[in-house]
Amino acid sequence: MPIFEVSHLVAGYGPIKALDGVSFDVNAGELIAIIGANGAGKTTLLMTISGVVPARSGSIRFLDQPINGLLTHEIVRLGVGHSPEGRRIFPRLTVRENLQLGGFTQPDRWQLKRDIAEACNLFPVLGTRMNQLGGTLSGGEQQMLALARALIGRPKLLMLDEPSLGLAPLVVVKIFEVIAGLTSRGIAVILVEQNARAALRLASRGYVLESGRITLSGSGPELLNDRRVRDAYLGE
Amino acid sequence: MSVQFFLQQCLIGLTNGALIALVALGYTMVYGIIGLINFAHGDLIMLGACLALSLVTALGLATAGPTATWLGISLLIVLCGLFCGTLNVAVDRLVYKPLRSAPKLAPLVSAIGVSFIFMNMGLFWIGSADRAFPELLPSTNLLPMEGLQITWKDLLVVIVVVPLMVGLTLLVQMTRLGKAMRAVSQDQTAASLVGVDVDRVIAATFFIGGFLGGAASVIYGLYINTIGFQIGFQNGLYAFTAAVLGGIGSIPGAVLGGLVIGLVRSLSSAYVGERWTGAIVFAILIVILVFRPEGLLGRRTKEKV
Repeated sequence: MPIFEVSHLVAGYGPIKALDGVSFDVNAGELIAIIGANGAGKTTLLMTISGVVPARSGSIRFLDQPINGLLTHEIVRLGVGHSPEGRRIFPRLTVRENLQLGGFTQPDRWQLKRDIAEACNLFPVLGTRMNQLGGTLSGGEQQMLALARALIGRPKLLMLDEPSLGLAPLVVVKIFEVIAGLTSRGIAVILVEQNARAALRLASRGYVLESGRITLSGSGPELLNDRRVRDAYLGE
Repeated sequence: MSVQFFLQQCLIGLTNGALIALVALGYTMVYGIIGLINFAHGDLIMLGACLALSLVTALGLATAGPTATWLGISLLIVLCGLFCGTLNVAVDRLVYKPLRSAPKLAPLVSAIGVSFIFMNMGLFWIGSADRAFPELLPSTNLLPMEGLQITWKDLLVVIVVVPLMVGLTLLVQMTRLGKAMRAVSQDQTAASLVGVDVDRVIAATFFIGGFLGGAASVIYGLYINTIGFQIGFQNGLYAFTAAVLGGIGSIPGAVLGGLVIGLVRSLSSAYVGERWTGAIVFAILIVILVFRPEGLLGRRTKEKV
């Protein structure tokens, strides 16, 4: 039973169609991967779902409710979290303030405190940096902060855009470990990654995005063994 | 040229500077959040002063007793603050918001246009001649000495400006709205992705900047005692200069810049001559910006990307 459904989505900038009729869905508690080359439209897809980039046509439904046309903060408040490409933490706010903003929609202050404590449990290094400015963290720590910030918002569906980009291998392992645990907490995940192998290993299903269209889809193992995927994205 | 004279000039400078700072905050906050130099801000304050003058007349404050006078002044500050805050929000909604994704020059030129519209509204409201703003406060010296004087007018500036600045700092540092404001000023998209209603936060910023300007307009009337439809331009320019000097976008910077400009203005008027004041203030601005383009308290450090 899909909780989230995109159909025939078209979006773009000016005359360029970055998304040209994209359709896919996500079931409750499922992790799906969207893989594709640079410029395939992965980031635009997530930005369109979040309402940052306007959709030209097509529909986006979340929990049986159309969400295209809503403002970004309204979509977020419905439970669609989005950890954007490039982490986009607030560089001149402290780690604590970044985390507090993650819970901006949380009306219960004590719950927010508990959620922040839990996030620090997940990423102990953040707990030791609470009063440091976000911009002074290392790339890996910033990614952890971005992920923690998104989780504190208690999303029902979390979209992660390139969470492993530019990180040291050990940090990537840690980040993927946390991502793998999300579905057991009941969070559905859309994982957009260039690291196709790691993403498809975690995903129950995957989609291949090429020039704004879904050209291939299947279960994680199917795609991992697909000749075209292996040639184009797994570097074999 | 005694010590007392010097201290007196410093006092005048700091009082004027506090007033400039209050106006500078409106420039720096709006710049900080949407990168717009709101050229209409000075004229907004001129309109606030027009309202203050109309209210003083309507309430008959010029002939009221001391208690009624202080109550009246408090009421003026609140009403003019609300007026300027609301007007500022309305202008943002009508003029700047539709231009949010346009090139920076479009809202900037529009702000200059709003400035002229405001100026003409002021002309319509109080006429073309300068108007006397009634002396509501006694000008007796509160210090028991000759040569150095502090009057109620000077105290008024401190009594109003200091709590407003402390309140603003607390608001920006401690509250949920303040955090949202700082987040929006750093990354609007990221702020919206954590659930911040960016347009509301921008409107709140315009309101707060306008409110501070409205309070400044009342103090300006009571302190300078003359208002005219063109006071917005010159005072706005000094306040804008203060904001740039302190580091535009920085709240403590606007306060420091205001105090520095106030001091430089009064000292150069006293020791060099009034006619040089403008030249000296702006020469100092240029020198400082050559060596510290980011302003006194502006950001220099680069963040990791």
